Amino acid sequence: MIEVRNLSKTFGESTEVLKDISFRINKNDVVAVLGPSGTGKSTMLRCLNYLCVPTTGTIRIGDVTVDAAHHTKAEVRNLRRQSAMVFQSYNLFKNKTAKENVMEALVTVQKKPKAEAEEIALKFLKKVGMLDRQDFYPSKMSGGQQQRVGIARALAVNPNVLLFDEPTSALDPELVGEVLNTIKQLAEEETTMILVTHEIRFARNVANRILFMDGGRIAADGTPEEIIDDPQNPRLRQFLNFVSK
Amino acid sequence: MRFNWEYFFETLPLIASKLNVTLSLTLISAFFSLVIGIMFALISYYNVKGLSQLLRVWVSFIRGTPVATQLFFFYYGMANISSIILNMSPTVAVAVIMSLNMGAFVSESIRGALISVDEGQREAAMSLGMSGWQMTTRIVIPQAVRVALPPLFNDLINLFKMSSLAFLVGVRDVMGAAKIESTQTFLFFECYACVMVIYWIITLMLTFVQRRLETRCNAIY
Repeated sequence: MIEVRNLSKTFGESTEVLKDISFRINKNDVVAVLGPSGTGKSTMLRCLNYLCVPTTGTIRIGDVTVDAAHHTKAEVRNLRRQSAMVFQSYNLFKNKTAKENVMEALVTVQKKPKAEAEEIALKFLKKVGMLDRQDFYPSKMSGGQQQRVGIARALAVNPNVLLFDEPTSALDPELVGEVLNTIKQLAEEETTMILVTHEIRFARNVANRILFMDGGRIAADGTPEEIIDDPQNPRLRQFLNFVSK
Repeated sequence: MRFNWEYFFETLPLIASKLNVTLSLTLISAFFSLVIGIMFALISYYNVKGLSQLLRVWVSFIRGTPVATQLFFFYYGMANISSIILNMSPTVAVAVIMSLNMGAFVSESIRGALISVDEGQREAAMSLGMSGWQMTTRIVIPQAVRVALPPLFNDLINLFKMSSLAFLVGVRDVMGAAKIESTQTFLFFECYACVMVIYWIITLMLTFVQRRLETRCNAIY
């Protein structure tokens, strides 16, 4: 489903954020990416759809492969259509209502007729419990509501994989629950997803695989039981001790 | 010294009759400064190599020199090296300088509005596979217009007042008419009071429209 090979990213001359990362993810996997701040989790996720252009490495999602050494605009757009991203700060289009936000890519990228796009949009807004807010602009919604619309927007394009970039980090604590519930529901339906998060307990509950990143590398890779309940890697142990206290 | 009200009210319509010159100068320059402004703003927004650096120097030069000097430099100075400028009517010369001058300010207003659309929305559009054109026309521009309208209206008001420079090169606009009238009657006080009243009324009207526009822009979303 997803295959990343020898992915590295260097900012400027010498800031190496990602160091030769390789991994594979299967269909229906729910993968949580954990790790201290500044270890390249978000950069890695953003490289998967070329919001961040990797320095080297190949990325394959579905049947689209892009090599950083020689990528074209068309290839990148094709790769982006294989995934959909949910952002930390929602990034809804501010000039569009909840419904229009979800419809946008269906109309512009997938060239669906408006009526069909609207039908799909309403279906997914219902799924995230935002049907009654369909005509609201982002400025009239709470952070949690905006993020649920963001999730509906990502789901609507029917991606091979959903990419979550710290989806609850910008939310008020009392709004985190509604978003996590939505994500949990998707995980139970076996939606393939990669989830960069700081919510360890949540990751433990919903993920069937956890990648622990440290210093631009994947330092540990395994089931939640292996990674969280029985950590072997000393850095991982240190991290878990630190966050659970 | 007393203010001659009778003369004031007699002269007011006479001077106001030249508003057509002032307003057409304003509107024509508004059009061209908008065209220039949009072009310049896009060049610096997309950071076109070479051109955008050149533009920064140009904008700084235009903003850093008096517009009256620019007019004289162009109309009297550059006439020495260009027969087109030598044969140019003063009204056209004023319109050219007004457009070039305000174009620089308009480009800054538009650039600021384009930048105000946050990077996150751009990323969201790209991550969904939208093309640069789709993103610009459907997400960035609709939001930028809302942000740009109030400052652009300010630019229009400034342009309207700037048109009074036309009298410096002999155009008979509102200001020019007042100058001619006052040198005949020596009633400077009354004549220039007429000019001020006329400009003030038009500016008040423009400001009223601007307020309405601003409220509407803010109310949409």
